[in-house]
Amino acid sequence: MLIQSSLIPAADPNPLPAPYWVFELFLIATFVLHIVAMNFMLGGGVLALASKWRAKNRENGNRVFLDIAKKLPIFLPATVSLGIAPLLFVQVLYGQFFYTSSILMAWPWFLVLVLLVIAYYGFYYVSYRGGKSMGKAGGVLLGSTILVFVIGFLFSNNITLSQTPSRWGAKYFASASGWHLNLTEPTLIPRFLHFFAAAVALGGLLLVFMALANWKRDREYAGQLLHFGGKAFMYATMAQIVVGIVFLVSLPQAMRMVFMGANLVATTLLMVGILGAIVAIFLMSEALHSENIRAAAYYVPAIVAVVIVSMSIMRDLLRNAYLKPYFHPEQFAVKTQWSVLPLFLGIFAAGVIFWLVMIGRYGLPGGRRHSA
Amino acid sequence: MNFPVWNVVFGADLLIAMVAILHVFVSHFAVGGGLFLVVTEHRARRKNDTALLGWLKAHTKFFVLVTAVFGAISGVGIWFTIGLIGPTATSNLIHIFVWAWAIEWVFFFLEITAALLYLYGWNKLEPRLHEWYGWVYFVAAYASMIVINGMITFMLTPGRWVKNHQIWQGFFNPTYFPSLAFRTAIALALAGVYALITASVQKDAALKARIVRWSACWIVPSLAVLPVLGWWYIHRLPADVWTSARGGMPTATHFALFAVALLSVTFALALLTLVRPGRMHLAFSLLVALVALGAMGSFEFVRESVRLPYVISNYLYANSLYSKPIAGDGGFSVDQVTAAGVLHSAKWIDIRTLTLNDQVAAGHEIFRVDCQSCHTTSAYRSMKRFIQMRQWDQAKIAAMLGGLEFMHNNVMPPFAGTDAERAALAAYLTTIYPVSAAAASAATDGRTVFAQNCSMCHRVSAADPLFMNLSRDPAIAAESLSDLTSLFPLMPHMKLGIRQRVALVEWIDAQRSAKGFSGAAQGEK
Repeated sequence: MLIQSSLIPAADPNPLPAPYWVFELFLIATFVLHIVAMNFMLGGGVLALASKWRAKNRENGNRVFLDIAKKLPIFLPATVSLGIAPLLFVQVLYGQFFYTSSILMAWPWFLVLVLLVIAYYGFYYVSYRGGKSMGKAGGVLLGSTILVFVIGFLFSNNITLSQTPSRWGAKYFASASGWHLNLTEPTLIPRFLHFFAAAVALGGLLLVFMALANWKRDREYAGQLLHFGGKAFMYATMAQIVVGIVFLVSLPQAMRMVFMGANLVATTLLMVGILGAIVAIFLMSEALHSENIRAAAYYVPAIVAVVIVSMSIMRDLLRNAYLKPYFHPEQFAVKTQWSVLPLFLGIFAAGVIFWLVMIGRYGLPGGRRHSA
Repeated sequence: MNFPVWNVVFGADLLIAMVAILHVFVSHFAVGGGLFLVVTEHRARRKNDTALLGWLKAHTKFFVLVTAVFGAISGVGIWFTIGLIGPTATSNLIHIFVWAWAIEWVFFFLEITAALLYLYGWNKLEPRLHEWYGWVYFVAAYASMIVINGMITFMLTPGRWVKNHQIWQGFFNPTYFPSLAFRTAIALALAGVYALITASVQKDAALKARIVRWSACWIVPSLAVLPVLGWWYIHRLPADVWTSARGGMPTATHFALFAVALLSVTFALALLTLVRPGRMHLAFSLLVALVALGAMGSFEFVRESVRLPYVISNYLYANSLYSKPIAGDGGFSVDQVTAAGVLHSAKWIDIRTLTLNDQVAAGHEIFRVDCQSCHTTSAYRSMKRFIQMRQWDQAKIAAMLGGLEFMHNNVMPPFAGTDAERAALAAYLTTIYPVSAAAASAATDGRTVFAQNCSMCHRVSAADPLFMNLSRDPAIAAESLSDLTSLFPLMPHMKLGIRQRVALVEWIDAQRSAKGFSGAAQGEK
């Protein structure tokens, strides 16, 4: 342990330009937005493919496929732009860990960008040309979705590696060429699947929102979207409960105990998450039975929003539990940049309002709040 | 030394350069092209030019596919890449300017949203509202450039920030405004350059001619003012910094020449498009873009090279060591590392003691943490090529490593490490390209002796101490060169044979006479 902690890079000499909690707040808040956009993109891609290849009625399947596919070129840049902020704030607070793990897996990490560009062009291709050649469009969308899936897996590798400095030395001293992953980490796969299942569930909600948008115009189609999306949401969330438990069990005991009594906040959040998921499943099931679009498109997402926020806070608590031996928020010298922070807050608030005005003037229907 | 070093075989610096150059070539288009779109739309609507509007709609698609996809992702790409290769500098820039980055993010988000709504709005929105989105896009994109320009120029000329750490002084630093003006002109020119590409595939010759002429209106004036803006930019740099591009440092000098040459060619080609605008071929438009890419890339190379040895001037060296000890630097300043030794200071090193047996292995580790941020063994800025060119044996390498900071207009940081570590580094470098002691002193013509032994620090110039002060009496001059360190304490501790010294003195005298340097008087030292 002594050798390993001596590897941890020294923190930056510049003081934090605002108190620690300000960055934590922004980190978690922007991460939530990022993850929702990402879920719509990845989950949307998966469900578009599922609808194309599983639908009994091919024409309907293709319609859902194209309808989702046209939105993916919006969700990808939304994911990226909403991801920039948490990436910035994570580097402010956890740069010592994050840069190091990134360097150990430098080539795969660099590859993320190459894969992103390819996936993005794939999404655009399907969105523009999908209607003309359905077969090809299916293949391209499958390719892009797989790339996005792989990118998510690389993120899971990096984040888990950044939290386990004890693994760094052996990897780096074996090779400095930046080709490492974190495949021997027991929590890697459960953690990644946890995110993936969430993406499919949220993809289901995306379809429910699309059902809402079509509810008055084309009830039959909207009904299909509702049932397909609602079921996807329910099954993915049921699977999620299992995956979540496996993830919890795979954690080292000290981390697991954080969520099982050792830390009251973390334990409460876990309870909220599990109960929220169960309630959401029942509510969605009811909504499908009674074709209640209000319940499916308003109440379920409201509960899911609470779950996502709880889970995102838990994710942060887990990181801090992992880094406890090496990282203490008190270590930071703080010198708030009073000459810039208010400017940012002003521009941020104005930006949000202006963004809403832009969306409003365009006349986008509801349910696409995160679509950039 | 604080972070692990990623071993990029072909050159870490080159990877940053590739990502950065491709990105800036697109990101400047993203700014200028935004203004181009909305101004052209307004013009076309006023003139009721439906053909032009039709083209502009297709051009918008091209614009978004290039800027919002490749431009945006490669922008994140630069950030990823510098984080992998220069984590210390990246971390510093983020901690110093986090709120500025966050402000830039807000503009970026608005920019991307506006770009998509402008694209999708072509078929949906009424003209005035559509143009409104175009203006929102351009203003947000330009605002994003206004912010990023502060951080980029900060690295080259942090100005008074180095002393007082006042963020606004670092942001609005000496080259802020010239750089912003320079980049604005480039952005406007690139709007025209890219428009030529989509114009070239138009079948309607009259339409094509209109677009080509309109594009030239963006390219020609913008490029015409660039020399003036460049002059302004250069004159806000400290004089010794710009010397690097005036012969002091090979990379900066070459790329400064490329930049000027390629810029002139871009200008000429842009004028050529006007000869037969209706018949411009796709290949020609791609040629213009390629030459412009070369010019832009060269400019960025110059900017990055003249900044050396620093990554943040007067603060952080390119090899991630602080130029002076500062509170909280973790011991990673040159002075501290030199005092404590690399093997004791560096975190990511697995050889902690130095013995004669593992001198080469230790030297390799030292190379990795001290040099590899800029150099490779046999690829980009390769040590093999340098040693081969100079024919240095181990002793000479060790001597020369003592004066790195004087070479090529001071573009390298001083060697950080103990004398024993310097010897170990020399032992390692010798294994890359072994040169025998005999080969190292084989050259007998003065020009080669100068090139191999003196030209790193001395330039053929009346102002250079060697050419200024060396005695005009050949015998005295040759004698004075026999012990360099006693001649001047900062000179490397190495010996030239008598034949080499005589040849060198003869050649120096010949240069002085040929170039009319008025130097030291006969018999004077």
